[in-house]
Amino acid sequence: MSDRPPRPAVLASDRLPRPAVLAAVAVAAVLLAFPFYLDSFWLQTGLFAMSAAIGAIGLNLLTGATGQLSLGHAFFLAVGAYGYVYLASDGESRPGHELAGLGLPTPVAFLGAVLLAGAAGGLFSPIAGRLRGTYLGIASLALIFIGQHVLFNAEPLTGGFNGRDVPPLALPGVTFADSPELVVFNVPLGALERLWFLGLALLALAAWLARGILRGRPGRALNTIRDHEVAAAVLGVPVARYRAGVFVLSSMYAGAAGALLALVFRRTVPEYFGMFLSLDYLAMIVIGGLGTAAGAVAGAVFVTLLPQLLTRYSDGLPLVAAPGSGGVSPAEAARVLYGAAVVAVVLFLPGGLLGMWARLRAVRARRRAAPPHPGLDQKEQPA
Amino acid sequence: MSGAEEADAVSKAEEVDAVSEPEAAELAVTGLTVRFAGLTALDDVAFTVRPGTVHAIIGPNGAGKSTCFNVLSGVYRATAGSVRLGDRELTGLKPHRIAALGVARTFQNLALSSLQSVEDTLMLGRHRLTRAGFASAGLRLPTARREDARHRDRVREIARFVGVSEYLAAPAGTLPYGVQKRVELARALAMEPRLLLLDEPVAGMNAGERRRMAEVIMAARADLGLSILLVEHDMGLVMRLADRVTVLDFGRRIACGAPADVQRDPAVVRAYLGGAHHRDEPGRDEPEGETA
Repeated sequence: MSDRPPRPAVLASDRLPRPAVLAAVAVAAVLLAFPFYLDSFWLQTGLFAMSAAIGAIGLNLLTGATGQLSLGHAFFLAVGAYGYVYLASDGESRPGHELAGLGLPTPVAFLGAVLLAGAAGGLFSPIAGRLRGTYLGIASLALIFIGQHVLFNAEPLTGGFNGRDVPPLALPGVTFADSPELVVFNVPLGALERLWFLGLALLALAAWLARGILRGRPGRALNTIRDHEVAAAVLGVPVARYRAGVFVLSSMYAGAAGALLALVFRRTVPEYFGMFLSLDYLAMIVIGGLGTAAGAVAGAVFVTLLPQLLTRYSDGLPLVAAPGSGGVSPAEAARVLYGAAVVAVVLFLPGGLLGMWARLRAVRARRRAAPPHPGLDQKEQPA
Repeated sequence: MSGAEEADAVSKAEEVDAVSEPEAAELAVTGLTVRFAGLTALDDVAFTVRPGTVHAIIGPNGAGKSTCFNVLSGVYRATAGSVRLGDRELTGLKPHRIAALGVARTFQNLALSSLQSVEDTLMLGRHRLTRAGFASAGLRLPTARREDARHRDRVREIARFVGVSEYLAAPAGTLPYGVQKRVELARALAMEPRLLLLDEPVAGMNAGERRRMAEVIMAARADLGLSILLVEHDMGLVMRLADRVTVLDFGRRIACGAPADVQRDPAVVRAYLGGAHHRDEPGRDEPEGETA
């Protein structure tokens, strides 16, 4: 042993990737490999889950982190979806069938859809800034009904009952459609495969931003508004401005989710953006875990996959009948199941799926720490 | 580590801190009246907190002490009267504006986010001194990261000063009551206030916790040069800490002066011992046992 302090060695070992980083890289690699192996059913389901995850992160910022209930999330998804279609499509006029559109470049339209949803949230923010918790939930319910009315009746804008076709997104170099053909590693990558990568990128960005916000100065202010509004105010947090701000932000997340959803669906349909969609989103954040981006993602995957899995495997399941055959349809069965999941989470799993994961890790860490290793502590201490 | 050393570190850091605050200002309360529907909670109350002193407000339960605090911090609106800090009028300002002028407070009942770590709780105290918004925090801009690191250092110093540094990583809700009270004080000090409002800082504490809290308050006053307005039932603490005492009863000021004088004041003795009252009000609660 030389006289040099062990500090450089410690720093070098710090630079080695930690297990968490390795795990993240492995997960990312698996997710990136999926389009090369999965069929279109699974790709579409996965894309729905990604879109839902983005929207759920937004709702979790509002409801989980700030304690502001919103039942209007579906409205902002609709603004995002229809906003993209309106901004991206060329106008169309046939007798008795007029559709408006701005024909902007599609990436601009996607961004515009997000901003449009944010602007819609901004219009509602005088209300969102003043109302607290459940009261905002009731007020935001109005948005659903207004939204549905507009979607069904503003036909030149929304296509009415039939909805509208969604123009595929075209980034420089790649168009998110089946043609022109694109073959990588002998696997033809169609629209869904290409969208998969886009969805992953958007979700990663959305989660990264939300994490930074929640762990930074705004997140601390939002959490304190949720837990103790008066304390937040006397500590210098402008409560109404933060409530309004987080409402706009969550609307923008919903807008991005809606636009991505439109790209996956390739057609927007008005009845999708109803009350049940808002409730689905609330179920996601409750099941996944309130107040964190990871919780929103976990809940979104759970709530999105469940009905799809039930539909896919309805033959093999007791009590679940094929859609339209009179019994309990897979969609209904899924609602019942995740209704039960919400109740179970509230009763037994405070913190949701994410909380359960954290608890498992704590138990494992305690077990590992149980046999003491004398000397290890001293070695790890920098001089 | 001794409190004096810590205090020294804190006051030195104060000097390097970019935020330059005006010196502690005088708090002048005049004619302050608060009415809730038919109930008059504060009636023409006046007192002055001179810069750098500890001023205590005492009185039986329901005397209007907490109402007074809520008006000073902007939580309640005054019906009439004026509250001036230096040359700024505080009545009518929103709580966050009053906080921005350098008024910090603690709460009689704890007001902490139970899941937030102590460090994050204290970082919230830095809210008025920091700027990072949704965009810069979300994008982790260098300005936001530097700001965060700088203020985290300062928060750790304050935690040492108040004696909560060993709990920095723990969620505030898991800590013993006495520690939570000190965390709340640390959060208020993290605001670098000019005026500190302490609402019953030692209520419900055992003797050891009381002594530690009193030491911290004395050190804060001596080394941070702030004015302190204190509501407290513990007369021993009030007599030891306060430079001046204002006594409220039924929303009225019944005495004001140096602690020793106030203690002998017949009106105060009457109010505390429940003797014949100068205003006959029905349904008055017996004052709780104060340690006189």
